[in-house]
Amino acid sequence: MEYKELIGIRRSIRYFDPERPVEREKIQKILEAMRIASCAVNAHWNQAIVVNRADIPPEILEELKMPVAALVQELAPVHIYCYLDPTVVRRNKGKRLKELVDAGALNPTHGWSHKFVDEFVYPQVLEPLTTNPGYPIVAAFDCGGAGTQGLLMAFELGLGACWTAFNTEAAKKLLGVPDEWIPLYCMNVGYSMESREAGGQRPRPPFEELYHEGRYGNPFRRDPAVVKDLEREKMFTAPAPLPGRKEEIRQIARKLGLPE
Amino acid sequence: MGLAKPIADYESVASWARGLREQWGGDPLADDPSKLETLAAFCEFTGKDPDEIVAFCFLRKKATGEKFGSVKRREEMAALIKQFRAASGGASMQGRRRQSDVCSFLIHNGVLMQLGVI
Repeated sequence: MEYKELIGIRRSIRYFDPERPVEREKIQKILEAMRIASCAVNAHWNQAIVVNRADIPPEILEELKMPVAALVQELAPVHIYCYLDPTVVRRNKGKRLKELVDAGALNPTHGWSHKFVDEFVYPQVLEPLTTNPGYPIVAAFDCGGAGTQGLLMAFELGLGACWTAFNTEAAKKLLGVPDEWIPLYCMNVGYSMESREAGGQRPRPPFEELYHEGRYGNPFRRDPAVVKDLEREKMFTAPAPLPGRKEEIRQIARKLGLPE
Repeated sequence: MGLAKPIADYESVASWARGLREQWGGDPLADDPSKLETLAAFCEFTGKDPDEIVAFCFLRKKATGEKFGSVKRREEMAALIKQFRAASGGASMQGRRRQSDVCSFLIHNGVLMQLGVI
């Protein structure tokens, strides 16, 4: 699928076919997309553990559920639990930055060398960063980027997906993750029971409220011609709710025995 | 236990009817009388009237009197609904419908209730 169309058709899918398994190669492709995401200092804080819902003992699945997300967690055949490993920077001591130097991504033109990494970047920037209270936020931003690439890959492969929180204590029991790892979100993956449009493009805040130009309070000027281009290229699709959405949900609810 | 007044006269039932109309259009409670019959049966099962069932799911903060949804009470209510389903046909179509109708009643009264797929 063309990129603009892909991000235009992505939805948070909340109704999965609970009985239809997801092919293992598709899950691998999601993980491969996450792995090659942009990442500050090539640290790669993101860790993920894939679990087939059917393999989760029922009592643990009950514990894992969050009140608002319980049904999504119950329906999705595959859960990808995403974590942040904050120990990776101290463990690697700049090694992955030097890999970027060797790969020609970081060059002397921009001041990079192995010696610069060893004598300045790691001891004076990265190592102190790991004790800064803002460190997990920096790392989580990158994990979010990686997760988004995986999410888009899921839709590219014809799957549906939705992020949810999860009960971190129950997950720790199930997954055995190291104590240092910070839980982020779970990507719930499966085949959608919703139509491709899933009711239409979901409401978003006005562009001008989110994006500024030059200085806070000066909205980035939105060119209607660009918007038209993106509509033509299918990044913008018909807004929700599309006609028939309620009937679609009602049919799914009745099929699954859910409240109306 | 008999209800003190017709079931449709309870505020929580009016709220349910309003919520269903706003969500789905038409008048789902009038169109499908079995929904109210199910709620009446659940009232009998719990020994509470509809407003008491909803009120049970909320508590008030001692300091401020502010109302909040109680996780513990909600879990207790979820357990009651599952018992009711088990006594009303279990995983059969009827059991499923009865569980869904009671959950719908609570949801349209602001009580989060995700009991999942049977």
